[in-house]
Amino acid sequence: MRERYSIVTVFHEVPTTRLWLRREAVFYLFAFPFAALTLLVGLWPIGLGVEVSFADSATAFAPLPQFVGWANYAAVLGDPGFLASLWRTVLYTALAVVANVGFALAYALLLDSPLLGPVRTLAKLLVFLPVITPEVAGYVVWRWLYDQSFGAVNAALALLHLPAFGGIAAQSTAMLAVLLAELWSHAGFYVVIFLANLAIVDRALLEAAAIDGANFMQRLYNVVLPQLRPAITINVVYALIQFLKTFTVVVVMTKGGPNGLTNFVSYAAYRLFDEARYGEATAMATILFALVILVALGAYLLAERGRE
Amino acid sequence: MTRRRNLPTRILAWFVAGVISLLFVYPYLWMLSGAFRSTHDILAAPLHLWPKKIDLSGFAAIVDVGGVSLLRCLVNSVAITIASTALAVGVAALGAYAINRRPNALAFRLLRGGFLLSMMYPYMLLVIPVYLVMYHLDLLGGYTGIVLFLALGPIQFFLFEQFFRTIPPAMIEQAQIDGAGEVRILLRIVLPMARGVVATVAIITFLLNWAQWFPVMVISASPDTYTLPVALLNLNGELGTNFQGIMALAVITTIPPALLFLFAQRQVMSGMTEGAVKG
Repeated sequence: MRERYSIVTVFHEVPTTRLWLRREAVFYLFAFPFAALTLLVGLWPIGLGVEVSFADSATAFAPLPQFVGWANYAAVLGDPGFLASLWRTVLYTALAVVANVGFALAYALLLDSPLLGPVRTLAKLLVFLPVITPEVAGYVVWRWLYDQSFGAVNAALALLHLPAFGGIAAQSTAMLAVLLAELWSHAGFYVVIFLANLAIVDRALLEAAAIDGANFMQRLYNVVLPQLRPAITINVVYALIQFLKTFTVVVVMTKGGPNGLTNFVSYAAYRLFDEARYGEATAMATILFALVILVALGAYLLAERGRE
Repeated sequence: MTRRRNLPTRILAWFVAGVISLLFVYPYLWMLSGAFRSTHDILAAPLHLWPKKIDLSGFAAIVDVGGVSLLRCLVNSVAITIASTALAVGVAALGAYAINRRPNALAFRLLRGGFLLSMMYPYMLLVIPVYLVMYHLDLLGGYTGIVLFLALGPIQFFLFEQFFRTIPPAMIEQAQIDGAGEVRILLRIVLPMARGVVATVAIITFLLNWAQWFPVMVISASPDTYTLPVALLNLNGELGTNFQGIMALAVITTIPPALLFLFAQRQVMSGMTEGAVKG
């Protein structure tokens, strides 16, 4: 390609600077809005966030913030409330990843099987619909579905003569209630990722295994799952990042309650921000940022190693 | 023989898929019925979906939401979503195109790296420092700050980057030999080919940005710039229960993206999958 330029140069005999301008500057012009936006709503805020995490909250908006070293980090890490919140976040993330990816895998296998025929398109559509539904709307509906007097959940349980579900109000069920609402909202995405992977699974290999007398479970473990490794990796990494950041559902449904049991890190940081404790809020945000990067990287490396 | 053995399995598969589909679609039906049923009806039979009598008082109750008219929130939603979508598509397309044409330029490598790093920051928490940036730029309380923040996202960039990689370099070289300048190449050769991906990215961005609420709420200084999801969140958080109004507003918030999705489902699902696989 480079040689072709030199031929063009000789041919037109254009001075090199003008040629550079004509051939290169235009790309910088194309990229300029993208670069400006990346700086404005990406790199600058992240840098500012890190800066403020070392500053006294009261001076965060001043032209020259007063720096307090690691005090904000020490305050955050020394707060038993934060450690409890971090633990709840990790526990919730682990449960949510297993529930979502497990459900999505099972449901995608069902939708992919020839047993269903044409209705699978409709089923796929319905499971994906919540993914594009505004989260606030979806969770508002779920909040009321769980309601003791308005809600359909307990009405349905009573109809089936089952014990009532405490939903978001009871300490023992709040996390499960949040998890179910989030599963409804997000699982469709993971299902579709699995379906895309299943569409390129080697059918000949499956048929060969069936002819050799392998039963359904044997085919699943030895033929299908190894070929689904890419989708499993993507879904696990995505789900990890998704649920570590769990936020909207908490704001809409529980406000961190009951008794702080759903006060996950994102929400805890937001509460600090809301109380104008900018230093601690950004310190907490930075800690979660580091955690997300570490987890994503770790999961990715583990998956890469498993591939060999 | 196979057929006979298959039949029970088949029925079971239909049954399971049917039940799960019903569970996924039920909240929508319940929301719709809740918007059109009087509170009295709902309390009498929470499970029922069909209203005995269509009751529109829920919609009447939300003509004004938390001190701002519903119409204003609707207009805000439409305007902010369309403006940020148009900006997002243009900015990501041009950026990805430039980076794709000159992948080895140092500035572009840094730009791509910086962008990827930004996208790893937990989105909800990025809003906190963005608030500080908007404060410094005096963009709090206006539409500009909201639109700018919503105009940058990973999936748009990844989808365009992926698409531009499929354009054969020979095509562009031929155009250069024919004496076409870069702007001409972009407009006459690349853009016509990119129509499909531009549409896909625009639809997905519209869906994503319509649903945004946290940046809108944080950058807003008053309810005047609230979008529908923010108004819904406020209504839901108000003291006293206006159940019917809440469901009515949830319906209004949900219908536009749901219709757009049903209209372009294949593009949305494959686009979001591809964007994820790349990212």
